[in-house]
Amino acid sequence: MAANFWTSSHYKHLLEQEDVDMVNTLDKEKGITLEDFKLIKMHMANYILKLAQQVKVRQRVVATAVTYMRRVYTRKSMAEYDPRLVAPTCLYLASKAEESTVQARLLAFYIKKLYADDKYRYEIKDILEMEMKILEALNYYLVVYHPYRSLSPLLQDAGLNDLNMTQLTWGLVNDTYKMDLILVHPPHLIALACIYIASVLRDKDTTAWFEELRVDMNVVKNISMEILDFYESNRMFTEERINVALQKLTLRP
Amino acid sequence: MTDMDPSKKVADRYLKREVLGEGTYGVVYKAIDTHTGHTVAIKKIRLGKQKEGVNFTALREIKLLKELKDPNIVELIDAFPHKGNLHLVFEFMETDLEAVIRDRNIFLSPADTKSYLQMTLKGLAYCHKKWVLHRDMKPNNLLIGSNGQLKLADFGLARMFGSPDRRFTHQVFARWYRAPELLFGAKQYGSAVDVWAAACIFAELLLRRPFLQGTSDIDQLGKIFSAFGTPTASQWPDMVYLPDYVEYQYVPAAPLRTLFPMATDDALDLLSKMFTYDPKARISVQQALEHRYFSSVPLPSDPDKLPRPAPKRESRVSDFNLQEGPAVLSPPRKSRRVMPGRDGFEGNSQQADKVDGSFGDFRQTTDDNTGKNESAPMSVDFSIFGLKSPNRPTINSADRTYLKRKLDLEFQQPE
Repeated sequence: MAANFWTSSHYKHLLEQEDVDMVNTLDKEKGITLEDFKLIKMHMANYILKLAQQVKVRQRVVATAVTYMRRVYTRKSMAEYDPRLVAPTCLYLASKAEESTVQARLLAFYIKKLYADDKYRYEIKDILEMEMKILEALNYYLVVYHPYRSLSPLLQDAGLNDLNMTQLTWGLVNDTYKMDLILVHPPHLIALACIYIASVLRDKDTTAWFEELRVDMNVVKNISMEILDFYESNRMFTEERINVALQKLTLRP
Repeated sequence: MTDMDPSKKVADRYLKREVLGEGTYGVVYKAIDTHTGHTVAIKKIRLGKQKEGVNFTALREIKLLKELKDPNIVELIDAFPHKGNLHLVFEFMETDLEAVIRDRNIFLSPADTKSYLQMTLKGLAYCHKKWVLHRDMKPNNLLIGSNGQLKLADFGLARMFGSPDRRFTHQVFARWYRAPELLFGAKQYGSAVDVWAAACIFAELLLRRPFLQGTSDIDQLGKIFSAFGTPTASQWPDMVYLPDYVEYQYVPAAPLRTLFPMATDDALDLLSKMFTYDPKARISVQQALEHRYFSSVPLPSDPDKLPRPAPKRESRVSDFNLQEGPAVLSPPRKSRRVMPGRDGFEGNSQQADKVDGSFGDFRQTTDDNTGKNESAPMSVDFSIFGLKSPNRPTINSADRTYLKRKLDLEFQQPE
C-alpha cells in the first residue's frame, strides 16, 4: 500500500505550501486575500460534507471530493470557477471515481434543500458542464490517497486501537480536510500527526513508538502544529466573514 | 460519421482520419498527433443518455490509465473535451491477440507463444504491483503494436484493490475467462482471477481456439471440471463456502497432456499452476514470470519478429505515417473484427460472427487475409442468436442487466 503511494500521481503532484497559498491573480483583483481564499475553501469543504451527508456517501468520497476542489484552486481562479458550483461537482465526480455514484439530479435536489440562496442554485446541466472542466483542471488525475487507510494499522501497531482513540483520530483526520494538508503532505504523515495530537490530548505516552518509526518527526510535529493552529483560529471563521469573502467574488472589480 | 477531411484538426493537435469502429461508449477514430507525428486512436466518449455526465466506465479507465505507465500497458496519451464530448487519445495499435490466434495463415512457434504470454504476464504483473485488477483479460483486449509489443487495454472493468474487506461484483470477465471462484459467486477475490484468465489465454494460444467455451455460467463450470476434474475439498477447501456453490457430479481429472498434446513439459507445468482451483494456491503473476518455462529453450521470440496478421487491403495511406496495420481496430474495446465462418475447418470452432452482447456495440467488419470483403451482421445482442455456435460472450444478457445497475450507472435505475 505504501509502496503503491510512492509511485502514484498523488505523490508526484504534492505541492509546496507556498504554491498552495498562491491566490490567483483574477481573484486578487477582486480583493480576495489569502485569508479569504482559505476561508472559502474551508467553507466549501463543509458544503461538500453537508451534501455528502444528505446523499449518504462514504467519508472517502468526501475526502476525495475536497481534495479535487482544493487541487482545482491551485490552478484555477474562483472568479472563473464559482466555488458554489465546483464544490457539488467535485462531490459528483468523486462519487464516480470512488465507485459509489450519486446521481446529479439528487445533488441538484439537495443543493436546493440546503441553500435557499440563489447564488448556490445550480442545476444538473451546470454540474455536468463543470464536471468536464474540473476533469481538465485536474489534468484527469483522479486517484487520491487518504490518511484513513493507514490510520487503523498505525493505531493497532501503537497499541492505541481502542474505540475512544480510533474515534478521536478519525475525527481529527476528517478535520484536516478543512485545511490544504492533503495537497502538501503524504497521507500517512497526516495520519501520524493526528495520532500524535490524540495521544498528547489523552496523555498516552507514544514517544518510544514514534521514535521507532522511520519518519521525520519534525514533519509530523509541523503538521500537528498546523492542525492545532487551525483549531485555534477556527472560532474566528464566522458565517459573516465567509459571506463577505464570497461577496467579493461576485463584485465587479 | 466518417470524417476524412485531412484539414480537420481536433484540439489544435490531432488530424482526424477514418473511423475505426464503435467502442463501448463512443466512436473510435484514427488520427495523427501533429506534435509527435505518431498515429493515435481517439475515443470519443458519448455523454450518458440519462444525463449522468462523463461515462462511468470511461472515467474508471481514465483514472486507472493515468496511474499505469508500462511498456505492456496501452498508453493514454491525452484527454480533452471537444464540442461537449470527452476525447481520449491512445497510442495506435495495429491488431490484437485474438486476430493473431484466429488467423489461420499464421503459424505460432512455441517461442512465439512464449513471447506473447510473457508480455501478457508482464503487463499484468505491473497492474498487480499497482494494486489494480484488470478483470477483463481476453485475447481481444490484448493489443499489438507495430513493433510487436503486446499491451493490455480496456480498463473499463478494472478496479483498485487492496483493502481486503471490500466486496466486488463477481460479474466480470467474459465468461470463458472467468475463474471458478467468480462463477461460484465470490465477492471477495484478488489478483488470482486475472491469473486464471491469463491461463485461458495461454491455453488459447496453444490450441488456437478458445479453450473453455461455456454457454452459461453453469456450463462454464461444467467445462472447467470436465477438463481438470471436479475439485475436491482438499484441493480447494473454501469452495463449499462460496455464495453460489453447487455440487457438481464428480469427474476425475484427465492428464493435462491429453488436452495439450503439443505442449512442452514446462508449458504444461506452468499451465497447471495457473489453472489451480484454489485461488490462494494459484501461482501469482510474478511467480509465473519466474517459472522455468520462460528461461528454458526455446527462449521467447523477439516481439519484433512475431507473426502478425497481414496488412489489411484497403489501406488508406496517410502522408504522415506509413504504418499500415492490418485490420486496425485498435484501441481498447469493441473494435473487433467479425469474421465469416469457415467451413470444414475444425468443425467445433466454427466461429461465425463473434457477437458479444456486451453493451450493444457494433464493430467494424473486416475480413482477415482472404482478400475478400464480406460483410457480416454488425452486431446484435447475442441473445437474439440464442444458442448458436460458440459466440464469444463478453457478458451475457443476464449479466448485462446486472452490470448496468452495478457498474455502468449511466443507465438510470427504474424508479
